[in-house]
Amino acid sequence: MNGKCHIESIGVKIPGKRLTTSELISRIKIPGMEKFGLLTGIRERRVCSDTEDSFSLACDAARDCLAHSKYGAEDLDLVICCSITHYKNGLSHLYEPSFSLLIKDVIGAGKAMTFDISNACAGMLTGVYVAENFFRLGKISTCMIVSGEYISNLYDHALKNIRTPLSSEISSLTVGDCGAAVILEKAPEDSEGLIISGFSTFSHLSGLCKGGQNKRTPGGYMKTKSIKIHKASVANCLPIVSEALKANNLTFDMIDYLIPHQTSRSSIISGAIRLYESEDKKPGNLVVNLRDNGNTASTTHFLAIYQYMNEKRFHVGDRIMLLCFASGLIIGVVIFMMDEIIYHYGNKD
Amino acid sequence: MGTRISMVSVSKLYSGFRSVNSISLSANTVKECLFSTGIVPSEIGLLINTGIYRYRNTGEPSIASLIQHISMPASRIKPSGKKENAFIGGTFSFDLGNGGCGWLSGIEIIDGFIRTGRIKHGIVVTADSEPFPGFSENYRFYSAAASVLLSGTETEGGFSHFRTYTFPEFSEDFTGLTRFGKKKGRWGRRNILEIRESETYVEDCIKCAAASVDRFLGETGYSMGDIDLIIPSQSPKGLLPGLKDKLSASCKLVEVRNGMNRELHTAGPAFALKNSWNDNSFIASENILFLTVGSGISVSIALFQNPSC
Repeated sequence: MNGKCHIESIGVKIPGKRLTTSELISRIKIPGMEKFGLLTGIRERRVCSDTEDSFSLACDAARDCLAHSKYGAEDLDLVICCSITHYKNGLSHLYEPSFSLLIKDVIGAGKAMTFDISNACAGMLTGVYVAENFFRLGKISTCMIVSGEYISNLYDHALKNIRTPLSSEISSLTVGDCGAAVILEKAPEDSEGLIISGFSTFSHLSGLCKGGQNKRTPGGYMKTKSIKIHKASVANCLPIVSEALKANNLTFDMIDYLIPHQTSRSSIISGAIRLYESEDKKPGNLVVNLRDNGNTASTTHFLAIYQYMNEKRFHVGDRIMLLCFASGLIIGVVIFMMDEIIYHYGNKD
Repeated sequence: MGTRISMVSVSKLYSGFRSVNSISLSANTVKECLFSTGIVPSEIGLLINTGIYRYRNTGEPSIASLIQHISMPASRIKPSGKKENAFIGGTFSFDLGNGGCGWLSGIEIIDGFIRTGRIKHGIVVTADSEPFPGFSENYRFYSAAASVLLSGTETEGGFSHFRTYTFPEFSEDFTGLTRFGKKKGRWGRRNILEIRESETYVEDCIKCAAASVDRFLGETGYSMGDIDLIIPSQSPKGLLPGLKDKLSASCKLVEVRNGMNRELHTAGPAFALKNSWNDNSFIASENILFLTVGSGISVSIALFQNPSC
């Protein structure tokens, strides 16, 4: 047994309610916001209805993931919930018991060990990092990593406080709600499995994005020094990406799809250009799926993979690089080869 | 390769309306661990925070990264003084939530990373404090923090046999959540932290813990007679006397006595470890059982075999 793992299935829950950028921006009566949609690349995002919250999104994503999987819930050895938000029954934030324990109970994963991980937008990939080590130890054979992000409640605080287009709460307008789940299983002997590299916390930059619960209004807030965090993320990710490629005898042009954390189109593209210049090579495709989703926090990478699989864009053998950025400042790289999983999503290749 | 405990550090206990910041409390215990062992921050591969009730209900960044920032500033600077590229292979930190069992789950994860050779040292830090002092209902925990520094060991022993048992039928027994509303005696509506506990929670915890210990011993082939010391959770109140009766254990069950009407939450087992560390009962024991109980109801158990025995 090689101790490696790979992605067996992915599930997503996108709320039905749509909120367009123009509708959102029309609520702010300040000049200079007209190009917000163009700069961010976000046309609309999905937001929770009154009956949805972080917990319901996570549970629905877990069910969707199981529906695409050969495993039943009872086969899962480990369930990790990685949401930033733990809203249950509306905007009531649950600290304990853990979300993962409740999700395990809802889906019927009787034997699974559970715990929650919270690491801002890097949550799900941190879950992958931790789970992958359990596979290496031979402690588990299957694992579900799940997240439900009900973050559209940030709008309320932001809309009251934004006075200029450079407000620290402007990034709160880019977010959208989503649930995502992924099942990992032991990789076949000949597979290279998930390659995980460079997960680091640049804690001296932890003050660049802060969020939490409001004191006097329901829901939360998020304040970001957008330009600084973008520059710091790009500068610090260059050596990490470079080392991840070198350690695995890869060059950037051997990556078919680069999927960075989805924040805004302009920052993704400018960051990618810095990476291409640094590596002197380009990956086949840069994935930007913000248009209909916005920034869905910890779920962005798996939402992007799910949507691309459903749009039949991937082929078996495509090499994917997931690049995570999150407040903290967290940077990490996951590389894997697309395999037969695409057939579970209607691909014929 | 196994995992040994290099150092455990605890904070003072704070109670009442004093505003105590869980992040700085935690950071001080991490600093003490590093200072006492002489391990430099750049050698710490993983820092996991397992506290639940945190300073101002912070959601992001992770509390662990804020603790890392205060306690381990040198981890971002190479000995050469160069900042650039200094982070590759540096400390990675994140928060883990698993109620009263989070601390042991954190230890299990670090033990795993040590066993696979990815890190040499890791820290599990935990702290709870009232997010907005005075704006909680039924919050009865001390503001307290504890850190444990774990290192790889080539000798026999260390942590093994991690097990977690869950009893979701009791998931409503104990909940910690925020709700938006009014608090008696306070003006205006706020996000209020509310602790809800059923009347049978303590009894259910005792039952679940005792059943889990029996199952653990059955699965691992040990008997109660093989266990020299038990490091348990310190809450809920009444858990330890009940456990003593149920387990009919001849070994010592470490209890942290504090004389006040508050409880130690996630840091409870670490305080018990510190007590046994100080009175040398830890070092004198061969087989030590870590037994944590928390909401869910979850019970996590691990065996620690003392390399020095």
